[in-house]
Amino acid sequence: MLYLNHVATTQFEGRRWTLPAQVFAAPLELYTGLPLSRAQLAAELERLGYKRSERLERPGTYRFKDTHLEVALRPARFADEARHAGILSIAFGNEGIAGLTEAAGQEVPVLRLEPLLIGSIFPIHGEDRLIVTPDEVPPLLPATLKAVEDRKFDSHYGVDPLAMMRALWVNVRAGQIEQGGSTLTQQLVRSYFLSSRQTLARKLKEAVMAMSLDAHFSKADLMNAYINEIFLGQDGDRAIHGFGLASEFYFGKPLAELDLSEIALLVAIVRGPSYYDPRRHPERARERRDLVLKVMSEQKIVKAEEAYAAAQRPLGVTPRPSGTYYPAYLDFVRRTLRRDYHDEDLTEAGLRIYTSLDPRAQEEAEHALEQELARLDRLKKHPNSALEGAVVVTTPPSGEVIAIVGGRNVGYDGFDRALDARRSMGSLVKPFIYLTALESGRYNAATIIDDAPIDLKLANGQHWRPENFTRQTYGPVPVVRALAESLNLATVGVGMEVGLPRISETLARFGLEQPPAQVPAMLLGAVNLTPLEAAQLFNGLANGGFKNPLRAVRAVISADGKPLKAFPLEVTPVASPEAVYELDRMLIEVMERGTGRPARAILPQSLVVAGKSGTSSDYRDSWFAGFSGAHLAVVWVGYDNNDPTGFTGASGALPVWARIMSGLGTRSWSAPIPDGIAEVHIEYLTGLRAVPACASDIVEVAVPADAPIPAKRGCGLPEEASPVRIGAERAAQPPGGLVH
Amino acid sequence: MVSLARSALPVVILALGLSACSVFRAPATPTAAGGAQTAETPSGTARPSPEIPAAPTPAPPAPAPPPHHQFQLGPAASALVAQSHTQAKGGDTAQAGATLERALRIEPDNPLLWIELGRLQLQENNAAQADAMGRKALALASGDASAQASAWRLIADSLRVRGRNQEAADAERRAASFAPH
Repeated sequence: MLYLNHVATTQFEGRRWTLPAQVFAAPLELYTGLPLSRAQLAAELERLGYKRSERLERPGTYRFKDTHLEVALRPARFADEARHAGILSIAFGNEGIAGLTEAAGQEVPVLRLEPLLIGSIFPIHGEDRLIVTPDEVPPLLPATLKAVEDRKFDSHYGVDPLAMMRALWVNVRAGQIEQGGSTLTQQLVRSYFLSSRQTLARKLKEAVMAMSLDAHFSKADLMNAYINEIFLGQDGDRAIHGFGLASEFYFGKPLAELDLSEIALLVAIVRGPSYYDPRRHPERARERRDLVLKVMSEQKIVKAEEAYAAAQRPLGVTPRPSGTYYPAYLDFVRRTLRRDYHDEDLTEAGLRIYTSLDPRAQEEAEHALEQELARLDRLKKHPNSALEGAVVVTTPPSGEVIAIVGGRNVGYDGFDRALDARRSMGSLVKPFIYLTALESGRYNAATIIDDAPIDLKLANGQHWRPENFTRQTYGPVPVVRALAESLNLATVGVGMEVGLPRISETLARFGLEQPPAQVPAMLLGAVNLTPLEAAQLFNGLANGGFKNPLRAVRAVISADGKPLKAFPLEVTPVASPEAVYELDRMLIEVMERGTGRPARAILPQSLVVAGKSGTSSDYRDSWFAGFSGAHLAVVWVGYDNNDPTGFTGASGALPVWARIMSGLGTRSWSAPIPDGIAEVHIEYLTGLRAVPACASDIVEVAVPADAPIPAKRGCGLPEEASPVRIGAERAAQPPGGLVH
Repeated sequence: MVSLARSALPVVILALGLSACSVFRAPATPTAAGGAQTAETPSGTARPSPEIPAAPTPAPPAPAPPPHHQFQLGPAASALVAQSHTQAKGGDTAQAGATLERALRIEPDNPLLWIELGRLQLQENNAAQADAMGRKALALASGDASAQASAWRLIADSLRVRGRNQEAADAERRAASFAPH
């Protein structure tokens, strides 16, 4: 007895819920010129749980007024500062946001919406919660809990003997334990200290401990503990504890903003979170909610009319658990932090982790992958296995990862293909071969290379005879075409001439951590990497030859608001900006006339993008990596068991990629032409300088301004090899020099 | 190592040569060397730049900034830069950096922001990052002599604090070639 008293009071005294780290998405920055329509802003607010209300009566509401949108902002905490609640008026023009004004008429140059809670890092036993302080609890909640669960809470000594006797009587008659009759304090004890087995001995223990808690602590303290402790739902491995998290989980908004019918529903759920699960059993949940409303009215907590009106309302739960969990993204966050933190720090210390996840991009990526894989599955002969896929989206200049999809079943916290599927990169390697070639100074986009049969005797005495995808050879072709059409033989020729060690070194500079085996098959992409690693490599191409370590976490803040760790922007120059510019212009031609062309049917017509497809041998892996002026996306499609898919990069991954790019509302690739680089029109098939009057298929390429490029006869162009020579700075290349 | 952008003069000559053979679109950046000289197109050989070639789809040429212009900060980025200055003055360089990154997310292609961030890195004795950011700024700054000069000065300073005086002097000279005297 004394022992129980001791256990109850000391443990409860030093009570500290283990607080899983909370993970937040990137906040949306609002500023004049942001291309966001009023409807889009409203959707973003809805995602944060804001409700449209003409009266704008409390934080968490917004309304349309004339052409403006007015929002009553909640207070918000960011990694670096806090913002007070307040009214903000947003004006819109043709280009998006035209101005932001505070209630006092003050213009605001830039303002962040609060970041969306996207998950938490909870321990193995799965208890997740979001602690609320008494001032964050609507007064109606404790009143309702008392009315429904424990009417004598304010006066009893931790147990309610009369209620217990009544329960005992019912149980004896039924021959088994059925009815609780427990006070809120007893329920708290049960949840906090004891297992959930229903035995008489346990009941007694529970009663003793409840009484000692009641003797030592105030009623207000106990009520607050109850509100934060109690179990209110299950989401896979994750147990939803406390009303703070339950409010986010069921309604997608803070507890303080719940209305009467929503509070009644949460109190209804207390009795049986699984039985009264409002998503799975809406009928039962509704019936019990209405019962709770009736009790509230009887107990004069609310007026009868109010209770009646609330009972007419729908349940109001979000279709999917909000704070929608993004397991693949959280996986990356967890791995990033594991380098600096112990598991307990993450699952218990109440850290706030601010990430760069963009919920809109994440949703686009999830939908695109889900829908395209379903379509591709229908085209397949494999009736019994489903294609899988993975997506990584970044913003290249910052190196921030804004979306990760680890598989088509996005809510499933299982095998994360974006981070763990190491697959053959296929032709994704080609841009790095040509970049190495451009950097050597011996090649440019118009250089003629030979697409001819290759027979290489390997170290082991075997012969390697690669083939083109079409099993044809194309003879002399300009570099721009060899890359656009992903010609294997021409590329192997260039790669062998440039040298495997240099290509391997280029890959390493761009961020490939495990150096590939330096065998000729490497030139056709016999290099295994994960979609995230592919994104790291291509991010450098999208960022003009600057590498940023890809990152998801911006900052980690302690429970009491101190900055603990930041992952600031880092850039490292890893290639000549001129060569990267020349290469990027060729990657645009991949999209215009090469393997990326099918994307044109999906992409907005004027959007300039650059990219490269990849197909591994026997169609086992279908890749597409490409970028616009603001985003990079890498898509992988294949089977988990490495079976052939029958899809090329262009037929499998490309449509997923194109859908994502279209949905992102991204902007065209553009970069200033580096000094010393010139644009020149050449004939796509011959690589000769030409003008439209004398050639049918002309492509514009970027080359070193002093590069010697012979002109096509009959075009009225001087036939000299080089338009201009500047000293002997760059050795003239023999025109049309074939490289084997 | 990164090959540096070449000095301005050959480019001017180049623009001459290119227009002479008239298949090239004049490079978008006949750099404002000293802000004064501009390549003159020899009359008689000038032709309108070729029509968009009859490609399978019209290849939209990547829009490059006009040859001469000056980068400026938009109101949002400008407010954030001011805020970051206040934070840096108060000794909170980490916050100042985070605030500049906010600005950079809004205007990622603005070299002025990369220069700001590089200057902050220099204050934090992170010369290698300052250098890299200067080079990133430089790659974006084509056509803006004053931004190019600032980027070179940042690179020069980042070299100097690492004792690479020869290279620093060279970078300083490049800065001077852009800056109005």
